Amino acid sequence: MSTPDPDAQLAASILAGLGGVENIEEIDPCTTRLRSLVKDPALVDAALLKRAGAFGVMINGRVVQVVVGPRVDTIASDLAELM
Amino acid sequence: MVRDGARPGEHKYVAVRAYLADLVTTELAVGDAIPSERSLTEKFGVSRMTVRQAIDALVTEGVLERAQGRGTFVAPPRADFEMRLTTFGEEARRRGLTPGATVLRCEQLPAPAVVAEALDRETGTPVHHVVRLRTADGNPMSVEESWIPVDLAPDLLDDGVPDSLYAALRERDLDPTWGEEVITAADATPEELEALQMQGSRAVMRTARRTFGGDAAVMYSRACYRGDRYSVFVPLREARPTLVPRARPSDGDAGRPVQPSAPPGRIPEGSPR
Repeated sequence: MSTPDPDAQLAASILAGLGGVENIEEIDPCTTRLRSLVKDPALVDAALLKRAGAFGVMINGRVVQVVVGPRVDTIASDLAELM
Repeated sequence: MVRDGARPGEHKYVAVRAYLADLVTTELAVGDAIPSERSLTEKFGVSRMTVRQAIDALVTEGVLERAQGRGTFVAPPRADFEMRLTTFGEEARRRGLTPGATVLRCEQLPAPAVVAEALDRETGTPVHHVVRLRTADGNPMSVEESWIPVDLAPDLLDDGVPDSLYAALRERDLDPTWGEEVITAADATPEELEALQMQGSRAVMRTARRTFGGDAAVMYSRACYRGDRYSVFVPLREARPTLVPRARPSDGDAGRPVQPSAPPGRIPEGSPR
């Protein structure tokens, strides 16, 4: 877990940017995006997500989409471990 | 089997239209003339207006096309372009069509806000802007508009618009590797109707695409495709499993899966409509 793997780091930053595991109801990995349903959208930090490497963040109510590109597969596996 | 009569309760033009559609699939080839209006009125015992209504419907669908003063003919099949990271030219060639382009605009301008955001740049950053009419075997298919940051490829348009913008990016080690495209149905504007030489229908598909080369946004493009000449082919695969947080000891009830707080079946507020 302590290896500085960039995908794992991005996964950790995405969790933090979404307000932590506690704020997440579910994350749906799509081909280039993570579509997540969060409990409190006010805890989402779009700027942090962008700084971490997201190519776009769309927030609509409790649905937050994070564009991560084709790395979504490995990031999703890393997220599953962290959740 | 080609049907040749109206079913009970069916509008007469529906029968003529079905007959012609069957004829196109079973007996006629691309470019063949359809039977004359007169022969159709006699065959179905309907007015010439009813026959025209049937033909109009098929012209609107892109099954038939009218040639001024020459008659009505079987139209070429729709180009079913796959949704993937290719250009119009590459997709056309793979379908045995000869791609063409007419440059309508070619300029450098400050990026408007929407374009700048798509390209991860500040509003007003200089971008190359190219508008082209794309043709397949000489037939207008789409109007394509592309923006590329000048800082990535300052000399991109020095010798005019390259045949392929993706190829020009690859030459500069900016190989497109992934992207996202959004497709929307719309009516063509009068300018688009004219440029695309659309006859019956105004229906078009609009696309907006962000193209990335690795971690960098390299191009933003929008296109307007004729609805009667173009279909979109999308390969589908099974969705990945949804990730749900594990129950934690601190939740007080270890081993119980964490349930979403929304009642089942309720649409979450603010979810995309």
